[in-house]
Amino acid sequence: MIDKSVPKQLESYTLIITEKPDAAARIACALDVDGKPRKIIDKGVPFYAARRSGDILVVPSLGHLYTVGGEKKDRGIYPVFEYTWIPLYEAERKAKNTRAWIATISRLAKKADVFIDACDFDIEGSIVGYNILRFACDGKQDSAKRMKYSTLTKSDIERAYVETLPTLDFSLIEAGLARHEVDWLYGVNLSRALTNAAKKVSGSHATISAGRVQGPTLSFISRREKNIQSFVPTPYWTIKTVVRLGNSDVEVDFERKKIDVEEEAEAVVKSCKGKNGIIEKSESARLERLPPPPFDLTSLQTEAYKLFGYTPIQTSMIAQRLYLDALISYPRTSSQKLPPAIGYRAILKQLLKSSEHRECAADLLGRKRLKPREGRGEDPAHPAIYPSGNLPERKHSSAERNIWNLVVRRFMASFGDPAEARSLKATIEVQGYRFHASGMETIDEGWMRCYRPFIHLVPKLLPAMKEGEEAKVRRISMEDRFTRPPPRYNPSTILKKMQNEGIGTKATRAGILQTLYDRKFIREKNIEVTELGLEVSDLLVTDCPTIASPELTRTLEERMTMIQQGKAAREEVVEEAIEILKPITEKLKDKEQAIGNQLSQALAKARLEDQIVGNCPTCKTGRLLIIRSKKTGKRFLGCTEYFEGKCKTSFPLPQQGLIRPSGTCRDCGWPKIRILMKGKRPWNLCFNPQCPSKKRLN
Amino acid sequence: MKCKICDKESADEELCRIHLKTYAKVFQGYEVWKKGLRISWEDYLRRIRVNSLTGKWAKEVAEYLISKEEKENVEKS
Repeated sequence: MIDKSVPKQLESYTLIITEKPDAAARIACALDVDGKPRKIIDKGVPFYAARRSGDILVVPSLGHLYTVGGEKKDRGIYPVFEYTWIPLYEAERKAKNTRAWIATISRLAKKADVFIDACDFDIEGSIVGYNILRFACDGKQDSAKRMKYSTLTKSDIERAYVETLPTLDFSLIEAGLARHEVDWLYGVNLSRALTNAAKKVSGSHATISAGRVQGPTLSFISRREKNIQSFVPTPYWTIKTVVRLGNSDVEVDFERKKIDVEEEAEAVVKSCKGKNGIIEKSESARLERLPPPPFDLTSLQTEAYKLFGYTPIQTSMIAQRLYLDALISYPRTSSQKLPPAIGYRAILKQLLKSSEHRECAADLLGRKRLKPREGRGEDPAHPAIYPSGNLPERKHSSAERNIWNLVVRRFMASFGDPAEARSLKATIEVQGYRFHASGMETIDEGWMRCYRPFIHLVPKLLPAMKEGEEAKVRRISMEDRFTRPPPRYNPSTILKKMQNEGIGTKATRAGILQTLYDRKFIREKNIEVTELGLEVSDLLVTDCPTIASPELTRTLEERMTMIQQGKAAREEVVEEAIEILKPITEKLKDKEQAIGNQLSQALAKARLEDQIVGNCPTCKTGRLLIIRSKKTGKRFLGCTEYFEGKCKTSFPLPQQGLIRPSGTCRDCGWPKIRILMKGKRPWNLCFNPQCPSKKRLN
Repeated sequence: MKCKICDKESADEELCRIHLKTYAKVFQGYEVWKKGLRISWEDYLRRIRVNSLTGKWAKEVAEYLISKEEKENVEKS
């Protein structure tokens, strides 16, 4: 029921603050005696009135309502080392709506006599709640209680309400505040240094951002890009051999995976062709493959990318929605452990109701003892990601279903038996050369039964073999090969790299990667670094190597962990960070002109790249560029070779809407563009007047 | 001085930092090709220029070296 009036009659009540509106609705439903709290909307801000032993108001936040900011007069200048916490709407134009939320929470706080922070139990959630209590609730942070839960199920919420922690987790909050303050100081100073330098030279504004975690991340990706771009493949040869073993033809591997000299490879082929060999050695072994540990956020993101192609940020958002629907536990965890307190059997019993998971759940429930295989990852606040046992109530998207299914299956698989396989290896000697045959067959699928369809092993069978038996070479040939460049990072592998290097947190890594995309430093799923990205990375490596190296950020992370453990003070850590930052900003200021030159050239190139639609189909050497005529002001497509007097190819362009390159035409291979107009469906245009697709339309 | 390949500021008389480093890699690569295929320097450059696995900068360096040698040959003759 929606009520637009604020309950004025309430004189005292408990005010519960949640991080998001969905969580407020769930908590209010779980705590209300009838499960039907009253929904009230105050100037667009929803909150809930529930009755239990007394009156409870549950009011949500919209994530962070406060942020770190500088003085207004300092905007655009650097270095800046003075900061304060300000309402988000003062810092970000897009956050205007948060003003109403702060006003509503402030008003509700006036008559409340008990305050409970029920935001997510992690660093970010703790800061959201702490800032609301100290700023919007007039300094109630010291008297407020804390609810701690890992799922939004009724039972978990009721337990968390009855067993509220007497105070907020101040050490966690201090660590979080330090992280925000240090990140703001680094982000604002470095970004302003680069942006101002570029603006000074080019005269036009383009935000060029850099930061404590962004710097080393861009540096890793750039290093890989350079290795790829300067890669020189070298030749090698492999030997492809098929021998007759028993009644089957089996492909075997030559003793050397790579042969560096062509003549040597030729000699092997010549000497073994059509010859008989002897099985020198044959051995079989039983192998065990242990079940995988349950997911932490990073391993879920990695697996979801591998299986479905979802980017880390997509997976994180989907998992958050599933958490708010009370289908899975809190996803922003680095734990790979499942404590018995979560109630393994109760969850599995509920999963019996899901037809696709019934078989595995029943199998596990039939066991006397349930013990999951756990990973090394730990998190003091939350266990690994696990299904709550609830089944989806609303219709979920396929992506949501995929992630839920993945979490459920991984949870069940972690309780499974090790998978068992038999491996068979044989060594065959032919003319003094050795070849190896190997096979593998699954004896017991174990945990893999629960993790299907996400794992699938193709058996490679070998016939029975005895040492001393003959094996005839049926076919042998050499293959020309080349070494390959290192693979590009993708969103999943770069997250792993960041985690291994100890930079960023589980909650921030995906967002940082997104910023690199937004700033056009990187592009594509298989990450390519743009000219601008390479330039910024080179600048950081040359002029502020501390920012580009993971050392600094790793040290700061360690110091922040120390704050959390009560071994260091926030002020001390922030001061240390400022001391490191000061000489860097001074150096950047000194070299402003040179940096500006470098950046503005890269920016100009990046802008030009944006205007290039594809290769010129006429001269084949030039590129088609969107140009605006100085005479008429109209835009058209022209070949870059026109300026050299070599090609006069040009095409008219639609004069309205945004134009984006859209690859090459499948029918004729000419470049295509996509036109985006407000209120209209985007359409693609191929420039070839003779394109077969146009003939089909006619 | 500008890089003869990309017009950026050069690190030596001819090439910028990136292309100079890549040149060193191209040079090192020849040793492996020579051992494996008994191939001439010119042939090597032509083959890496068209190899799809060769990086963009390495192709640019190969292209530059080929045209430089062609020019020198014309001048000699």
